[in-house]
Amino acid sequence: MIVDFAPEDVDLDRAAILRSQGIPEEAEFTENFELIYEGAIELFQKLAEPAGIIVGITISEFKEVFRGEGLNEPENPVEDIYRKSSYLALFAVTLGPVLSSKVTGLFDNGDYASGYMLDSVSSYAADKLTDLAAQHLQSELAVKEPAASSWRVLSYSPGYCGWNISGQKKLFEVLHPEEIGITLNESCLMIPVKSLSGVLIAGAGEIHEFVNSYPFCDTCRTKSCIERMRDLK
Amino acid sequence: MELLDQISFNLQNGFDKIVASLTKDAVEKQIPPKEILSNGLIAGMNIVGEKFKNHDIFLPDVLLAARAMNGAMEVLKPLLIKEGIPIRGKVVIGSVKDDLHDIGKNLVAILLKGAGFEVIDLGNDVPAEKFISVAREENAHVIGMSALLTTTMPVMKKVVDLAKDEGLFGKIRIVIGGAPVSKEYALEIGADAYSYDGANAVETVESFFPANSQ
Ligand code: B12
Repeated sequence: MIVDFAPEDVDLDRAAILRSQGIPEEAEFTENFELIYEGAIELFQKLAEPAGIIVGITISEFKEVFRGEGLNEPENPVEDIYRKSSYLALFAVTLGPVLSSKVTGLFDNGDYASGYMLDSVSSYAADKLTDLAAQHLQSELAVKEPAASSWRVLSYSPGYCGWNISGQKKLFEVLHPEEIGITLNESCLMIPVKSLSGVLIAGAGEIHEFVNSYPFCDTCRTKSCIERMRDLK
Repeated sequence: MELLDQISFNLQNGFDKIVASLTKDAVEKQIPPKEILSNGLIAGMNIVGEKFKNHDIFLPDVLLAARAMNGAMEVLKPLLIKEGIPIRGKVVIGSVKDDLHDIGKNLVAILLKGAGFEVIDLGNDVPAEKFISVAREENAHVIGMSALLTTTMPVMKKVVDLAKDEGLFGKIRIVIGGAPVSKEYALEIGADAYSYDGANAVETVESFFPANSQ
């Protein structure tokens, strides 16, 4: 199913956006900074074309997709989680090509500060779009299956948690994100850049819990699992 | 306020048009370009750098100052060249082949320019051979490469290997960066250095030029 989101659907949490730029909560800002921030939000609302594609898949079909090119870490949390799921769906979301060209355009014009801010707002929003896709799936499931309203739907993506990034190839073969304008290049990079892909795993909250002490956890740059697991409680 | 202090002050506040016009005034008043650069522009950028380190200002403020710096450099550069004042160093930078993401690389390029380096930005999706050929043609001192995903990182190794094959290794320093890149990876492929962010990239590149650092 293809889902068209509206830019206003994305909750642009200012504190969280600034945190993603490494800015502490108690910071004070210059007038210039405020203008740039406001300008970026305005541009985002005007130029974002958020869209998603969500396609249900069985556990046995997903096993193949997850195996991908056979390069996953031998031990990884996703493997255990998806097997315990109540429902699985592949997904991809994008903010569309216009935002990225605007960022490039701003940099080319020497408007670096606005370009950087718009890029940062867009990266944050792309992440939030994944949450919106998960919420969308959950409400669809709840219509058919009353138990689904108590499930937790979380996303897992190639390039995270031991799922090798080359997994994008199989995922694209089955999901066809081209339908919402996302293509994959030789290096498994999605274009437009502000896009995310993966699997939405639905099931009881506990299935998403794991101990983050896999060897690859040391080099993980995001450690977003900590926050995600905390929110399950 | 003295003219050079005014330049520094307006640069700190990101007023690019005023900085460019004050720089022109300073040139007309026969202030030596080197002095405008050191006591006006770089003095201002140093304060910006300090404030940034102390969290008094943030990256967008630094980028506004960098734009003002670049505008003023357009005025000064021909004069500095004419007077034979050496530039701080030349850096060829780009995002590696198949990498269509360039925000991190752009930031590094801007901050390096702001620190007085000449930067040749090859954009994104840059093949290994191009880094080498441009660095050679331009007599660059440094090659900087950026990658967003682990899958595009092997191009970095290719550039290091090509530099070795062509006898450039040791003459041109190679610095790498980007979200999935690490110090360990730099060591593994034989690059000279890794930088985790823009400010660190400037410090790293500066460390390649101990003799003429300001
Ligand atoms: C924001 C973000 C996103 C955003 C957008 C990315 C973008 N930049 O436009 C969104 C949410 C869309 C996204 C998507 C994905 N992401 Co992402 N993302 C990140 C995150 C959190 C920050 C990257 C970023 O933009 N930083 C801000 C910019 C300004 O910083 P930067 O580019 O790193 O540049 C700075 C430094 O690295 C350095 N630097 C950069 N280049 C250079 C060059 C030189 C010469 C020097 C000296 C220094 C230097 O200085 C720069 C300025 O400070 C990183 C994790 C992290 N904390 O780094 C993961 C990360 C890059 N993503 C990752 C992954 C896996 C993905 C996806 C594949 C997930 C998926 N399956 O959907 C997709 C791929 C998108 C695509 N188009 O293909 C992985 C990559 C791992 C891997 N195996 O390659 C990372 C590392 C997270 C992780 N797992 O640890 N992502």
